[in-house]
Amino acid sequence: MRQQRRKFLKGASKAAVAAVAAPYVMRGYAADPVNIGGLYPSTGGMAQIGQGCVVAAKMAVEMVNNAGGVKALGGAKLNLILSDVQSDTTVTRTETDRLISGNKLTAVHGCYASALTLIASEVCERAKVPIITGSSTDQLNKGRHFTFTPFARASQFARAQLQMAKLVADKPKVAVVFENTAFGTATSNGLKELAPGEGVEIVMFEPYSAGFTDAGPLINKVKASGANMLFSVSYLNDLILIVRTVKQVGLNIAINGGSGGFVIPDFYKNVGKAAEGLLGVAHWNHDVNDAAEKVNAEYKKRTGEFIFEYAGGLVAQTYMLVDAMERAQSADPVKVRDALASLDASSGYAAMAPGGKVKFGPDGKNVYGHPVGVQWQNGDLVSVFPKEDARKPLLKT
Amino acid sequence: MLEIVAQAVINGLLIGGIYALVSIGVTLIFGVVKIVNFAQGEFVMIGMYVTFFLATQLGMDPIVSLVVSMPLLFLIGVGVQHFLIRRVLGLNDLPQIFLTFALSLLILNVALMLLTPNYRTLHTSYSDAALHLGGLTVPVAKLIAFGVAMLLSAILWVFLHTTDLGRAMRAASQNRDVAQLMGINPHRVFAVALGIALALAGAAGSLLMPFYPAYPMVGQVFVLMAFVAVVLGTLGNVVGALVASLLMGIAESLGIQFIGADSGLIVVFLLLLITLAVKPSGLAARS
Repeated sequence: MRQQRRKFLKGASKAAVAAVAAPYVMRGYAADPVNIGGLYPSTGGMAQIGQGCVVAAKMAVEMVNNAGGVKALGGAKLNLILSDVQSDTTVTRTETDRLISGNKLTAVHGCYASALTLIASEVCERAKVPIITGSSTDQLNKGRHFTFTPFARASQFARAQLQMAKLVADKPKVAVVFENTAFGTATSNGLKELAPGEGVEIVMFEPYSAGFTDAGPLINKVKASGANMLFSVSYLNDLILIVRTVKQVGLNIAINGGSGGFVIPDFYKNVGKAAEGLLGVAHWNHDVNDAAEKVNAEYKKRTGEFIFEYAGGLVAQTYMLVDAMERAQSADPVKVRDALASLDASSGYAAMAPGGKVKFGPDGKNVYGHPVGVQWQNGDLVSVFPKEDARKPLLKT
Repeated sequence: MLEIVAQAVINGLLIGGIYALVSIGVTLIFGVVKIVNFAQGEFVMIGMYVTFFLATQLGMDPIVSLVVSMPLLFLIGVGVQHFLIRRVLGLNDLPQIFLTFALSLLILNVALMLLTPNYRTLHTSYSDAALHLGGLTVPVAKLIAFGVAMLLSAILWVFLHTTDLGRAMRAASQNRDVAQLMGINPHRVFAVALGIALALAGAAGSLLMPFYPAYPMVGQVFVLMAFVAVVLGTLGNVVGALVASLLMGIAESLGIQFIGADSGLIVVFLLLLITLAVKPSGLAARS
């Protein structure tokens, strides 16, 4: 009896080993799951967008895995390892370090917020792990080799906003107010530099500290400046206060809310009808192409809301990483980095971007990257600029 | 020019009223119980959500919901005193600091879990309304908030100066041991102080709701200003906190208007530093 059992066990274990090992032996490498790090603030002041990103990150990994994983790696599944960077730069540094040193990571995506992404990118560069991000600050494209930015840069947002201003007013006199961290400063400096060339006059240029208790004093200042258009580079809670205060004061002024907090479903929920006709810019929108519409439908099923730029963009980023792994035939971070550098996507989920093409230049920028101008129309965020990306005409309000 | 200054002062005064409600609560607790309540902002947040849900579920106007949010927060205050603060009163400072700090973190994170970090806004008939006086704009919702805040502060002052319980509270704040010798029951007094302080936080929440979005971290925006006002207006001094709050609101607004929109807080802290250099115990200190 004992003999038999031992024999059975031996046989069974051999069979099991053979069954499990077969694909590796045949292909000559291991189909362990591929670890992808996701760094997003799901607590703290940036949690709102961060949590939406987490939903999208999980959804993207499920989509890849349900479609058979990474085929060149024997159908290896993606394993998403999430880390909460708590909206804090110090935490971002330690969490990125911890994530990389504690796990065998192939690549990282995150953190959406520029101030956090800059830190995470530094850590990734040092550890030689590629990071792909929707963050728009141009600083990410200077002297970095493992950082990839598939979407429009902050400096490009500015030109789009200025060109849209000319479509709304014949002689735009613009007041620029911006929150005074990396995101706001980078975007607004772009506006200031480009305005003269685009024929737009800036009559007020004002940084403010995010998280104010009252937008009254700021709007008071805008009113005094005589501007006929307001560019606000803000996170959501400030923007809600700014738009509501403009209505309260009875100031008749066209508003371009930029990106960030302006292009997420919650903006409309909080501001309501007052949001109708407001303009903004985004590095991604849910109507840019058919693949994006499909992703949007799936996200809507899960959350009841349309997928906003950072969340949608990071689904595309996940597919860019998979595309790189397929071509590298490896989960090695340096090889995946090299494959990302030669990415050239023009179809499928990896190409979900305004213009529908992704190819990285030596600075990690998508050479085709450009923003879309968007407008709130009947509670939906619609792409209206430039012409080739517009899904509906821009309404003058 | 004069109009711009006047508008800036009005804006500052109106938001100063809200700072006052929060800071009076903090200073009252400190004065009477000798404990710093780091969780005061979180109670403002609770007041906001109570008001929000009363409005969206039962259609109750935020101003009317004061009659719910204030008693509710009063009871929470009594509970916090009875079950938590009372246990650490005999101990040294650290357990007391950690208790209210932990309470703040706990409430904040439970709110994040249950309510999500999303912003919630109420739209009332007067949310976007404003009175236009000449070239000046006075938002109705903020004016109501300011008026009610001043009314509540006045009621508190009368209570503290004319009722036995109020006098007992002032006595306990001046000298706890002597007050006890005079037959004042400190735990009853402390419970009422906590109750009133939290009721004021609840009132601030209800009054903010028509014009400010609610989210779990919202308390931290206001509590920073409240702490500055408490120090500026002399620790434990209710009138001092009120005056300091209004001054800070005006200083912040003028700073934004004439120095830069990112220097509102700089001006406020400058005001604090200068005051402390000249009068180290704050504006209301007897020299």
